[in-house]
Amino acid sequence: MSKKNSDNKFSFRKYAMKQFKHNKPAYVSVYILLFFSVIAIFAPILANEKPLYIHYKGEHFFPAFSFKNNYYINNADGSSEKIQLDIADWKQMQFDKVVWAPIPYTPGKSDRLNSGYKSPGGEQFFKDKSGAVVPIPGRFRHILGTGSRGDDLMAGLIHGARISLTIGFISMAIATLIGLFLGSMAGYFGDNKLTTSRGRFWMVVLGIFVAWFYGFQARQFVLQEAIKTSGFTLLLQLLFSIIIVVAIIFLFSQLGRLVGKLPWFNNKVNIPVDGLVSRTIEIFHSMPTFILILTIAAIARPSLTNIMIIIGLTSWTGIARLTRAEFLRIRNLEYIQAARSLGYNEYTIMFKHALPNGMAPALVSIAFGIASAILVESSLSFLGIGVPSDVVTWGSLVNDGREKFSAWWLVIYPGLAIFITVTVYNLIGEGLRDALDPKQKR
Amino acid sequence: MGRYLLKRILFFIPTLIIISLLAFIISINAPGDPLDRMVSAQESGGEFSTQTANTAKEKERWRKKLGLDLPVFYVSLSNAATPDTLYKVYDDNERTALKRLISQYGNWENIAAWNNQLHTLSTAINMMIPDTSNFAVYGKNVVLDTIIEAKQNIGVLMYSYEDAQIQLRLNTLAHYAATYPYFAPVKEQILKTKTLYEQLTSEKQLAKTWLPAIHFYGHNQYHRWIFGDGNWLTGKGSVDCKGLVRGDFGYSYETKLPVGNVIGDRIKWSLFFALTSVILAYLISLPIGIKAAANKNSPFDKTSSVILFVLYAMPTFWVATILLMSFANVEALHIFPASGIQPVTGIPDDANWLTTIKLRLPYLILPTIAFTYSQLAFLSRITRVSTLEIIAQDYIRTARAKGLSEYTVIYKHAFRNALLPIITVFSNIFPMAISGSVILETIFTIPGMGEQVFHAITTKDYPVIIDVFTLTGILTLLGYLVADILYAVADPRISYASK
Repeated sequence: MSKKNSDNKFSFRKYAMKQFKHNKPAYVSVYILLFFSVIAIFAPILANEKPLYIHYKGEHFFPAFSFKNNYYINNADGSSEKIQLDIADWKQMQFDKVVWAPIPYTPGKSDRLNSGYKSPGGEQFFKDKSGAVVPIPGRFRHILGTGSRGDDLMAGLIHGARISLTIGFISMAIATLIGLFLGSMAGYFGDNKLTTSRGRFWMVVLGIFVAWFYGFQARQFVLQEAIKTSGFTLLLQLLFSIIIVVAIIFLFSQLGRLVGKLPWFNNKVNIPVDGLVSRTIEIFHSMPTFILILTIAAIARPSLTNIMIIIGLTSWTGIARLTRAEFLRIRNLEYIQAARSLGYNEYTIMFKHALPNGMAPALVSIAFGIASAILVESSLSFLGIGVPSDVVTWGSLVNDGREKFSAWWLVIYPGLAIFITVTVYNLIGEGLRDALDPKQKR
Repeated sequence: MGRYLLKRILFFIPTLIIISLLAFIISINAPGDPLDRMVSAQESGGEFSTQTANTAKEKERWRKKLGLDLPVFYVSLSNAATPDTLYKVYDDNERTALKRLISQYGNWENIAAWNNQLHTLSTAINMMIPDTSNFAVYGKNVVLDTIIEAKQNIGVLMYSYEDAQIQLRLNTLAHYAATYPYFAPVKEQILKTKTLYEQLTSEKQLAKTWLPAIHFYGHNQYHRWIFGDGNWLTGKGSVDCKGLVRGDFGYSYETKLPVGNVIGDRIKWSLFFALTSVILAYLISLPIGIKAAANKNSPFDKTSSVILFVLYAMPTFWVATILLMSFANVEALHIFPASGIQPVTGIPDDANWLTTIKLRLPYLILPTIAFTYSQLAFLSRITRVSTLEIIAQDYIRTARAKGLSEYTVIYKHAFRNALLPIITVFSNIFPMAISGSVILETIFTIPGMGEQVFHAITTKDYPVIIDVFTLTGILTLLGYLVADILYAVADPRISYASK
């Protein structure tokens, strides 16, 4: 067991931090992850065919940072010239001054001169300003080679990092929200702590049904129109629907309070939260998740958002289980009893007092979950299912390399990137588990 | 034990219902009309008109055969203005238009009258044969064009719900009726359609659209899919579909054959690889895991831990691609063939089993390695961890104190108990066999279930995907059951009776 510092109050959080720092591989992993995150965040600046800065005909532009797609430049003779940012042939243009991105290529953009798998060390070509094809200058080399359409591998890797990390992060954020909520409800209330009057229970059930009708069924055409208009309208309309749903359920719940005072309706009923949540977890466990994800990805429109949501909705069980176990322990601790005797609302105790202490085990599950989410996404994009075909990901790069076995760079580098990211998350997960597990205290 | 198993099996039922519901929800939301898939490839010769007639007949046949003429589910929630027979409008777009009209006006009688009138008008216009004398007056092209236009307008009207759109089309029709005398036979109908629409828009009954209504349907698509179209318990009297519970999986869009046939052909290869790889993985990983645990912190433990950790994080598709790249590469080492499970020429009919194996073996080695690899790392790690936990127990210390040899301690006392978590992995064989490894089978082009799933996804053959999903779910549950029984066999302390 650890020695307590007599002058410092013992804090488990500090202790766990210290334990985690002792675990060298895990600690290094955090820095590697940070490095990857920086790459992911700055991907559009790190790899972009648009120059970061140009000085052109006396004007200053920052094409890589621009939201506009057209530049209008007034020539000396009064005529005006238009540059279309997405299709301009930047490398052919004559600038007074230009600052290129470190990797002057956009992922997935074909480079006809270097199409058909050009190796990193081999011959690559370049069209110079006069239009003549010359061996590529060092600055514009595809440093990790190219794919079938001459697309730059390094640029693909950098932007792939962005996609992989986002998928891992967002899908696990969804899973964490669901898992923490259900897990803490199940653990805290158990099978017989959540009681309500019969009247209120049935009123809420009725309320859910009515809320569904007015929130979604009656508004289905409004929502359908919103899908067609724009993401923002859809979000707004969905929010409106959810407000209706919450309001109706609240109304019925308050009505239920009144109804619950009537005879027969005032009998207590138990809501077996734990049983319900545990059964749901078991059901999710029996589901072939990868096949389910494949099935939905095959039927829904290919989109990264869909994939994140599906992975999130199917991978919360681990988090819920661990949180439930932790809450089963916490709910009997003195400070919870104290809070209860002070008359705090059950939900305040649960989410404000118990949750911060009950989250630790979930962290381990989250780290492993991110690793597996990244693996699932890369497998999906390797198969080309569910991911839009114009999005370059690590998995899709390996798939491109599968077409031609001699293009080893297309298999090795993206594979390594996936491997390193997954390992890093696994190491962090192991480190967290060791640091948070009291049995392992050294 | 018996009681526990019974409880377990009873618990399967809600799980199965949820899995089947999920599969069903996904399948009815699949884009595209199944009938178009089933009938489009049908080649029927003859004139265009007979062709369309044939297609319509064929569609009608498949609609009945697939049960698409039934309501979707046991219950449907809608507004009170919607009639419970709306599912009988088969055309998706037409049904949507009707639903939207209902939500706009709420008076079903008028909407039904309007819709019926549209159909009458459509038939009337289709039967219209203009007097050739009109050709001289208005020009042949004009006459034919206006009639085609009129037909198209009717078609659009059936799918329309926006007022402006409907008004526009109705006005065009009214204009034709007023201008061209050869529209005389349908003039009456057109005017009637117009009045009906005016009635429809003027007599709104919006109150009903804001009231919820529930309709119940005993016989529906879900029921039919699960229990068939006969008696739900005995299956008597079923014609086209015996139901999932009796092993009828429906029809594949791609081959138009029962899905069961497809699965039967394919499953043996997935089963072969699942079994071989699991057995191989056990043979390799158990000794490694136990040895590592027995000599904790020895160099062997440390190196094997690191290697396994690394292996664990490598994506299977990457390893498989690297294997192919290294050993089946025409430009480098070309030891093994890159795809398939037998030579392109096939295996001669008179070949005995020895030559069959000899011919097939080179094709099987790389996939077997990849399949085994995908389980190896996980199994060894789990073996090591569980053995470590056992070794720390008191009874092992006692065994050592008795002076038993290390071998006896580990393999006789510890091993049996360390088996428990490993059994869990064994239960995954069944689901693995049915869904196959989609990734590995696709990479190595093995004609197993996984490759079939991939193919089904690319060709949008939804029934196959949905059935594989459902079957995998069922088999996962069976796997858990088997694991439970095996637990009890491996560890007599586990007594399910007390639960």
